[in-house]
Amino acid sequence: MSAVLAIALKDLRQRLRDRSAIVLGFIAPLAVAWLISMAFGSVGSFHANVAVVDLDGGPVAAGFSTFVKGPDLADLLTVKSTAGEADARAKVANGDLSAAFVIPRGFSDAITSGQGLPITVLASVDSSVAEQVARSLAQSFTAQIEAVQLSVKAAVLAGAPPSTVAELAQKAAAVRPPERTVTQPSGTKELSAIGYYAPAMGIFFMFFAIDFGAAGYFLERTGGTLDRLAAAPIGPGAILLGKSLATFVYGLASLGTVAVVTSLAFHADWGPPLAVFALIVALALTLVGLTALVITAARTQRQASGFASILTFGLVLLGGNFIFIGGAPQILRTLALLTPNGWALRAFTDFAGGADWTAGVTPLMAILAFAFGSGAVAFALRRRVVNL
Amino acid sequence: MTALALAAAELKRVTRDRTFLFFIVLLPILVILLVGLTTSSSTSIRVGVVPGQSATLATQLVGDLEADPGLTTQRYATRADAVDAMRRGELDAVVLIPRNLDADLRSGLAVRVPVLVSGSVEASQAAETGVSSVVARHGAAVQAATFATAHTDRSFDENLATTRSVQRATPVVPVRTVVVNSKSNILPAGYSYSAPTMLVLFVFINAVAGGGAMIQTRKFGIFSRALAAPIRPRDLVFGEALCYLALSLGQALLIVVVGAVMFGVSWGNPVAAAALIGMWALVGTGAGMVSGTIFRTSEQAGAIGPAVGIAFGMLGGCMWPLEIVPQSVRLAGHLTPHAWAVDAWVTLLSRGGGLVDIAGYLAILATYAVVLLAIASFRLRRSLVTP
Repeated sequence: MSAVLAIALKDLRQRLRDRSAIVLGFIAPLAVAWLISMAFGSVGSFHANVAVVDLDGGPVAAGFSTFVKGPDLADLLTVKSTAGEADARAKVANGDLSAAFVIPRGFSDAITSGQGLPITVLASVDSSVAEQVARSLAQSFTAQIEAVQLSVKAAVLAGAPPSTVAELAQKAAAVRPPERTVTQPSGTKELSAIGYYAPAMGIFFMFFAIDFGAAGYFLERTGGTLDRLAAAPIGPGAILLGKSLATFVYGLASLGTVAVVTSLAFHADWGPPLAVFALIVALALTLVGLTALVITAARTQRQASGFASILTFGLVLLGGNFIFIGGAPQILRTLALLTPNGWALRAFTDFAGGADWTAGVTPLMAILAFAFGSGAVAFALRRRVVNL
Repeated sequence: MTALALAAAELKRVTRDRTFLFFIVLLPILVILLVGLTTSSSTSIRVGVVPGQSATLATQLVGDLEADPGLTTQRYATRADAVDAMRRGELDAVVLIPRNLDADLRSGLAVRVPVLVSGSVEASQAAETGVSSVVARHGAAVQAATFATAHTDRSFDENLATTRSVQRATPVVPVRTVVVNSKSNILPAGYSYSAPTMLVLFVFINAVAGGGAMIQTRKFGIFSRALAAPIRPRDLVFGEALCYLALSLGQALLIVVVGAVMFGVSWGNPVAAAALIGMWALVGTGAGMVSGTIFRTSEQAGAIGPAVGIAFGMLGGCMWPLEIVPQSVRLAGHLTPHAWAVDAWVTLLSRGGGLVDIAGYLAILATYAVVLLAIASFRLRRSLVTP
């Protein structure tokens, strides 16, 4: 046991003396988290500056202005004034307004006489969501007008005498809309950019340790240290265990530090501490398994570095560490679950979205399966590397 | 001539490394694919629908939500499944079609359609607005059918068929959209976003990580042996620069070809695009050589280089458009050459610009290239001539 500890401590000392291990394990993920926090920290919910260009001046157009200025839409819209349609176009084009509504001349009269003139939404090529929101608002407003006119039309088409149109219109106008939406909180929390990318970047940079561990092993082999270890009364298992322990502690310290610092400094919500700790331990074990796998698969230091790089980038690309996997197509979301980091991100995302510790159980099992699976393969092949 | 021979020898040595080929060929293509796929599906409002029942009116409402061009919808069997998806950021809102919707509407009762949102209700108003306009139009047809049924002998279903058909054919008050500007300030979503931004990112990252090769050359004593021959130090420096330039240009051209052939990316005005790629390759050359002269080991260059490259890429708008970040972050981003290169690509690809339109950006990038190359050449030459 003391041999295992001695090997582990020596490896850790050696690794911490290397500036790149400190940069990749601690500084880089925190710097990237800080950048993300700065970039998206003050980005709030969607809000649009709009204007109503009322070329009509009639009562229906006034009703529309009142609708968009209403208290229900105050969090979504700020209604600005403009000097006319040309001014509104210029402001939408240069980004001062997200969108503008143009109510055409004769709009109210046309509606009163059972007709309809189009409402125009002026939008910018760069604000597709603002355009969709403005269009939806205009359609919500016109739906009620449409309901009255459709009611009269349908009644006439179904056989109501045309002479009763005025009376029907009056009656139809008194009917309340049968359907409306009601917004309810779902009990979830909104996922922030830092809530997702803090663990994503922490895991990404932690995986770089696969290269350090594997390359370090081959350096020792070429340097003759392993020959000397083999001459000592230490079994191959103890050597692997010592090196694994160093990798485990480094992984744990790296991701643990990222979790603590981003939680305290950037308010990243990693989740229930015990569950998060269990996941980090499982990920550090995966790191050990993957490092051991690379060592057993490679024959030279160069090959080990190559395998480690390909494995690291393959896992983080597939697992969703580079992209926000929630915004990706379903196929990518499914593929992400083929990786331990994909499962870890699922758990951290669920926690950040308000789920309790039970959401971490399946991911934890999946990550441990990866850890022990890769470790078992490496163990089966151990003679290949330590049989000197 | 000597410099060319040196560059060719160095290039041969570097490209023999299969890992390097993974980073320069496969990784950029995979990242372009992933980022392209993700950004192309992120421009619409994503709504989950829990149908709850298969009656006529409920089915129609679900169909209307799915047909709305502003919404991307996904059906879920249960509320819990849909809420899980929203928790993971896969949805902006969830619409629960009430189980009694059909019966209540047919019997003239008012129905409320719950829209579940994440976090604060205010934060999800954009999604709720999109859903409520579809519900309102669906309700208008139902209201008209109910009214006609009350005032005539026709059945509700007959009247509903009529009102929905009239509504579809001739909207009473149409809403039309006029896009007032054709020139965008951000790159188009999808591969037209991911290909140019990843070109900027990977040329830089691979050049900086490639600085390790120069460190190895120095460590192996190749420079010392070369200097023993009748080769001047400046030829060695020039040879190294040519090697990095060839690598950067090769990386950029690979992304251009793959982008155009595999992902259908249009690279804009060819002369301007070529000038921009050439200038960015020079910036990459300078950065790679600086990396080769400031890091002590090739492992440091290979490890710290990509981390610096990723951070610069984030700051410079390669990972997300700088239009969406606060002004201060946008300004800080423009301390990196990446932001100017991405701005130039926006001018070329989103605004149809030419060489004249990106001349300012090229000049700024040229300044970065000159400064980096000067620092690298000075440091390399000094290391060569200092015993």
